[in-house]
Amino acid sequence: MSNQSEQKTVSQKMDELSELVAWFEGDEFELERALETYSKAEKLAAEIEQDLTGLKNEVTVLKEKFDA
Amino acid sequence: MASDQTPKFSVSDFIAALNQSLEYSFGTVEIEGEVASFKVNQGKWVFFDLKDATGSVNCFMSLFQLRVPIEDGMKVVVRATPKVTAWGKFSLTIQSIRPSGEGSLRKSFELLKAKLEKEGLFAPERKRSLPEIPDHIAVISSTSAAGYADFVKILNDRWGGLKVDVAHVQVQGESAPEQIIRAIAHFNEQEILPEVLVIIRGGGSADDLAAFNDEPLVRAIAASRIPTLVGVGHEVDVSLADMVADVRAATPSNAAQIIVPDRKEVIGMLGQLMRRILVRTEGIVDDYLRETNATLRQGLGVLDARVDLLQSQLVTSRQVMAAYDPRAVLSRGYAIIRGEVAKDSTITIEQQKRIITAEVKDVKSI
Repeated sequence: MSNQSEQKTVSQKMDELSELVAWFEGDEFELERALETYSKAEKLAAEIEQDLTGLKNEVTVLKEKFDA
Repeated sequence: MASDQTPKFSVSDFIAALNQSLEYSFGTVEIEGEVASFKVNQGKWVFFDLKDATGSVNCFMSLFQLRVPIEDGMKVVVRATPKVTAWGKFSLTIQSIRPSGEGSLRKSFELLKAKLEKEGLFAPERKRSLPEIPDHIAVISSTSAAGYADFVKILNDRWGGLKVDVAHVQVQGESAPEQIIRAIAHFNEQEILPEVLVIIRGGGSADDLAAFNDEPLVRAIAASRIPTLVGVGHEVDVSLADMVADVRAATPSNAAQIIVPDRKEVIGMLGQLMRRILVRTEGIVDDYLRETNATLRQGLGVLDARVDLLQSQLVTSRQVMAAYDPRAVLSRGYAIIRGEVAKDSTITIEQQKRIITAEVKDVKSI
């Protein structure tokens, strides 16, 4: 995958995958492009799975005080 | 008769000295009692008596300090400074007041609920939906509270890659509402807003949770530009902060469940999605194959018919050709004569199985 894809968040990748699935199920489907699009979707799904398994949440407790 | 040691004051000085003594002796005190003769003057000043079975004291405060509805008969705890006024009247200058005891808390809750409901703050049409999978959320809670730890644990179990900014605040007690309001303002002033504002606190007594029924806090939640998710107390606890939030969570753990999906479920769903598009593609390829086969069959049918026609034409042509074949005539006993048919000339006579050379003796016309 490209660097651009690596910088995307999980939810952005999920959105992209949903769009690809919608393409398969929509009227714009073309058999000629199916293999390429399927490979893209498969790669994206693998990437999301890897992200979900490996990524940690970044929890930051703010330094700001709210008591005054 | 007063001795020379006896202090002498003017009235004003005496009142000032008295107030100084009061301030030195008590400073700020908390007093619990029942509210009587509650009234608001000029829309600015609040007066009431605080009493118990045998005593009563006048109380005064400004209206903006009144954060929860109060009415006669309610048991309250006031935080106040005792003072003697310029007219010699003893009173308590109230800094804060909060209902005390289940009955008063309930009463105050109901009064404020009715007021805010009338303003439409709890109306379903005001509710905004939360993003399906946020990338950036803000959390307002006490980082030392069990509810916060539960929230973070479940959040981490369920999802990854989320940016979580946490504002540590008091979640119970007198200063809690203001701290939470400041934290709400802080997140709402960010250049890039978090996608969800989560306000959480674990379980506690009605008194512990009373901060979440504070009117200015409820209004701050309602005014938040960021969609809000509030999870306070246990499932049975309902606060006005819950009611005004865009989404209510039963507990802090439930808030984490609402805010992000479970990664295991999502991974399972990814597999389903891929299977779905595979089945869809296979279905389309099958359709194409069926159509292609049908077209091919149709083409072959046309070709077969054409071949049959040509074959039939060939048979006819062959029959015609056979009819014109001279050998067929010879086989029936006829002969072909070649050469000049004149007296004394030589001719050849071809029969089916032999050729005869003959001399012409005579030629007669018939």
